[in-house]
Amino acid sequence: MEEYVGELWDRLITGAAEKRHAAVTVKLDDVAKSAAIFFRALGGDPGLGISAAPAVRHGARRRLLQRVAGSGEKVELSWRDGEVLRLPSQIDLFAEQALNRDLYFWLVALAAAASDNSQPWIIRNQLATQVTLARFPGLQSRYDRLVQAVIALRIPPEKLPADEAVQENTIRQALQYPGTVDAITLAAQPFQPVPLWPHPHPPLSAAASGAAGTGSPEQSGKAATKKSRRKHLAQRSDVKEDKNGFLMMFRAESLFSWSEFVKVNRPQDEEDDAETAQLAAEDMDNLTIASDGKTSAANVRFDLDLPSGAADDTPLGEGVLLPEWNWKKQVLQPDYCSLQQLIAADAKPCELPHALKNTANQLRRQFQALTPTRHWLKGQQDGDELDMDAWVQLVSERNSTMPTSEHGLYRAQVNQERDLACLLLADLSLSTDAYVSNHTRVIDVIRDSLLLFSEALTATGDSFALYGFSSLKRGNVRFHYIKGFEEKYGGQVRGRITAIKPGYYTRMGAAIRQASSLLVQQKKRQRLLLILTDGKPNDLDQYEGRYGIEDTRVALLEAKKLGLRPFCVTIDTEASDYLPHLFGAGGYVVIRNPEDLPKELPLLYAQMTR
Amino acid sequence: MDTKTSNTPFYEPSGDECELFERAWKNRLPLLIKGPTGCGKTRFVSHMAARLNLPLHTVACHDDLTAADLVGRHLIGDGETIWNDGPLTRAVREGGICYLDEVVEARKDTTVVLHPLADDRRMLPIDRTGELLQAPPSFMLVVSYNPGYQNFLKGMKPSTRQRFVSLTFDFPTAAQEEAVLIGETGIDTMTAKRLVSIAGAFRALRDHDLEEVASTRLLVYAATLIKDGYDPVRACRAALVETLTDDAETAVALNEVVSATFGR
Repeated sequence: MEEYVGELWDRLITGAAEKRHAAVTVKLDDVAKSAAIFFRALGGDPGLGISAAPAVRHGARRRLLQRVAGSGEKVELSWRDGEVLRLPSQIDLFAEQALNRDLYFWLVALAAAASDNSQPWIIRNQLATQVTLARFPGLQSRYDRLVQAVIALRIPPEKLPADEAVQENTIRQALQYPGTVDAITLAAQPFQPVPLWPHPHPPLSAAASGAAGTGSPEQSGKAATKKSRRKHLAQRSDVKEDKNGFLMMFRAESLFSWSEFVKVNRPQDEEDDAETAQLAAEDMDNLTIASDGKTSAANVRFDLDLPSGAADDTPLGEGVLLPEWNWKKQVLQPDYCSLQQLIAADAKPCELPHALKNTANQLRRQFQALTPTRHWLKGQQDGDELDMDAWVQLVSERNSTMPTSEHGLYRAQVNQERDLACLLLADLSLSTDAYVSNHTRVIDVIRDSLLLFSEALTATGDSFALYGFSSLKRGNVRFHYIKGFEEKYGGQVRGRITAIKPGYYTRMGAAIRQASSLLVQQKKRQRLLLILTDGKPNDLDQYEGRYGIEDTRVALLEAKKLGLRPFCVTIDTEASDYLPHLFGAGGYVVIRNPEDLPKELPLLYAQMTR
Repeated sequence: MDTKTSNTPFYEPSGDECELFERAWKNRLPLLIKGPTGCGKTRFVSHMAARLNLPLHTVACHDDLTAADLVGRHLIGDGETIWNDGPLTRAVREGGICYLDEVVEARKDTTVVLHPLADDRRMLPIDRTGELLQAPPSFMLVVSYNPGYQNFLKGMKPSTRQRFVSLTFDFPTAAQEEAVLIGETGIDTMTAKRLVSIAGAFRALRDHDLEEVASTRLLVYAATLIKDGYDPVRACRAALVETLTDDAETAVALNEVVSATFGR
């Protein structure tokens, strides 16, 4: 009973305290793709992704009801750093849906305007606003409407203590007449968040600027309900080179709470209790991650051991040294990765699995239509022989005094050549071990796809090769040989396809470079580099996030320069965040239902090469 | 196919391309023009033809264009066959400019007739009639192609390429593009500026979200609609956004750029 009443009270008071408009909420998920394109169109960095912003405590004065309800403490703020543009996960500030939506696009436009970070926050925002409005005068009316709506939501200066009233008035003036405020006098209490402006001191610069603990600007909905979209405010700090990770850096008598920054380097995290850690993380305001180029911030907390030589696949030839692009330094680091070609040791020749036979037959029939044949074209203007049908028609038309049209009177023989080579590069990283349905893993889908793809291409007679790749840091890029261009497709190849297994990580750049160098040796007019993957490039070292993406992008640009045509087929539903940057529009396709991949892949190929 | 113009078509030069064209023509060198679609390649050629007072024969190449389409063919008349010159042969006979637009689209056998014309022999052999035409000094061969959406099956052969003097076109600078819009349609400077700013934003999306970006030609279309009194936002939507993308979300973003520029 107590619990029931408590719940009712909570709902009542929270509902009363929160002036939100659930019915007209605009969610980031709904506008993310358009917002990203808008951002790039306005001159934003094309490599940036869009992500939900974490909720942070703003510490500003709240309305009485909010205080009673204990809500409105945290807000989501927008900011950009080197990797992502963060936007609120949803906006339900205003009663009009159009305004909520406009706020998203306004934040994006503001983020796209280059801002001078050396300027104080209040000046910076006014400058960015002025620049944006000057470049896109059409935004003026929208901005005015947003300012009006935002001001209506703020606690009026008359109801605030004197110093806060001055602070509030300054902000109002800066919003209404951007460019007229030179400085702000901060009150003891942080100011109320300003939804139209980005975070005053986003976590990236927080360590450097160390600005006074002023309020945070972004008030939008409460922290997102969906866990996946809930992001934590992360703080980046440098790892001191000379400090030993296992040396205590604090005096033992001072007690630390969870939310304080404990300067302990953790090259390895050996805590097993992930659940407790997860709960603690949820309660923390800040998660501090230091980037030292060694650890991975991914969920995977273990290093995978390479199998012993005896149990591993057989190496083929010498390892290859390949360069890698470091986007932070903007240099191509020569001989940075070591790639080893491997061939499955235990692959036994086998037949096509029974379950695929029907589909394979069907595909083979469809693909035989693509096989080049010599055939005669009728009614041509030029040709080797007379087209008797056309001639008879012409003569009879003329005799019947009908007006005659111009006819082609020849038959010509044409050779439809398919002069192309295709290299299929399959991602065999450990993530392919995940299940896509009750029975199938990603790797099973990839295996079936490779089999059907081979069946189909054998029917066309196109030259093709199959390779797989995975990696474990830069020293071990594993490039699995499945079928070479010269090898005939048969039981042995089927055996190798059946033997593929998931392992390790996805160092895509190195694999693409190796595949390009193989494909470019094929003296064909059209050379297609088909990449089959289930996620972003990543590896255990710094090869993740933007680093991996930019390296892959450079590898793809190199491939294009060589005259190859890269195309990506992915089952990663979040792929539209980064694939346009890598492959360009029309350079990739996302298969929504992974189980369709085996059937879709050959058809895609047919479409592309018709 | 023939465009003989009495008055010079409007063209806003972006560099020294007019001078290069004249020099190439004077020295009997063939010219290859590269550039994205709608950036003014065709307009440039017709402008130069009018300036040099030469007849211009333009052929838009397509994948069924054969050598006979260029050179000419026998037509079957009443009890006889009549030889009919193709545009290339006509240009050679008249000593004019033959302009092959999107030349890589043409069938491969067409390059065979171009080769002897494009080097110092400047000859056009006509197999069917046994004629061997020597091009007069005023004849000039100009070809163009768009490296952007070049079909991988149809690259330009190096042996063909290396017979031409090449000129790369790109979209003009903002100021030049404004001048083009004003000169072409007569809209006011403010609208021209805004249209060019939209185009700049769309062009930033090349290689990421759009396969083809807004060409000057599309801007001229939009400007024409606006000049005619149509609402600018809707004109841009029709002439630019919907033309450039089929993807709904991309269209939303592009429309946002348009309304951010023209307001609603």
